Amino acid sequence: MVSDSLRFVQTYHQQQLDALGDETRRALLERLRRGPLPVGQLAKGLPVSRPAVSQHLRVLKQAKLVHADTVGTRNYYRLDSQGFAALRSYLDRFWAEALEAFKAKVEEE
Amino acid sequence: MAAGESRSGVTEAAALEPVRRSVRVRATAERAFRVFAEEMGTWWPKTHHIGRSPMVDIVVEGRAGGAVYTMQEDGTPCPWGCVLAWEPPHRFLLAWQITPEWTYEPDLARSSEVEVLFTPADDGTTLVELEHRAIERHGANAAAMRGAVGSEGGWNGVLALYGAKVGAA
Repeated sequence: MVSDSLRFVQTYHQQQLDALGDETRRALLERLRRGPLPVGQLAKGLPVSRPAVSQHLRVLKQAKLVHADTVGTRNYYRLDSQGFAALRSYLDRFWAEALEAFKAKVEEE
Repeated sequence: MAAGESRSGVTEAAALEPVRRSVRVRATAERAFRVFAEEMGTWWPKTHHIGRSPMVDIVVEGRAGGAVYTMQEDGTPCPWGCVLAWEPPHRFLLAWQITPEWTYEPDLARSSEVEVLFTPADDGTTLVELEHRAIERHGANAAAMRGAVGSEGGWNGVLALYGAKVGAA
């Protein structure tokens, strides 16, 4: 059971889930769904300071949920597709396997 | 230039969407529902079990609010979900009460959901559509657990505190 637990923890990507577990960070991700933005625009209208937004962006970057591109003197943030894909992959693979087993069982005579 | 990449941002956001899977089975909706929800232990991959002792069977109490647990070889039950909607033979909604640490999550607000729809066709087959959604709710749990200790990485310590809290509640 230990190896299964490890596999689950790895694929569940606890760092990413942790990063998603904050209201401000989820708001930032929501804004980035419409496309890349510089930090100034990302921070606009949020009830937290700009340094706090930068700190949240660092957490999201470490969790590979956002990616930063430097254009001139500005950092543009965008969603990191690899991070999100990894987050969902465990459950996606699990259900593919489980539904196959279910189909085999339900079609038995 | 980066601003011109907004298209890819939209595409990438799709990864936050629920996990969706479907399968068409040669069985009536009644049989498909029964095997899926009432006889889950007959097909569930036995390697995917959160208890300490190997899995023997899965019990799903057939009513909204019903418990979902695994019976283990050592004779003890291991809870891991509950029934949110029980509408045979068309719909089954399950709370996925498994934390990122592969333990039982007692708080439904910190659990994801699995909805399964059974749609019969004229040829006697049934389309089974599954959606695993609100996966991000598990993240709130992970953040709260880590925040309670205020340290990075000390997961065993956090879990011990969490266990104590759950036990006290």
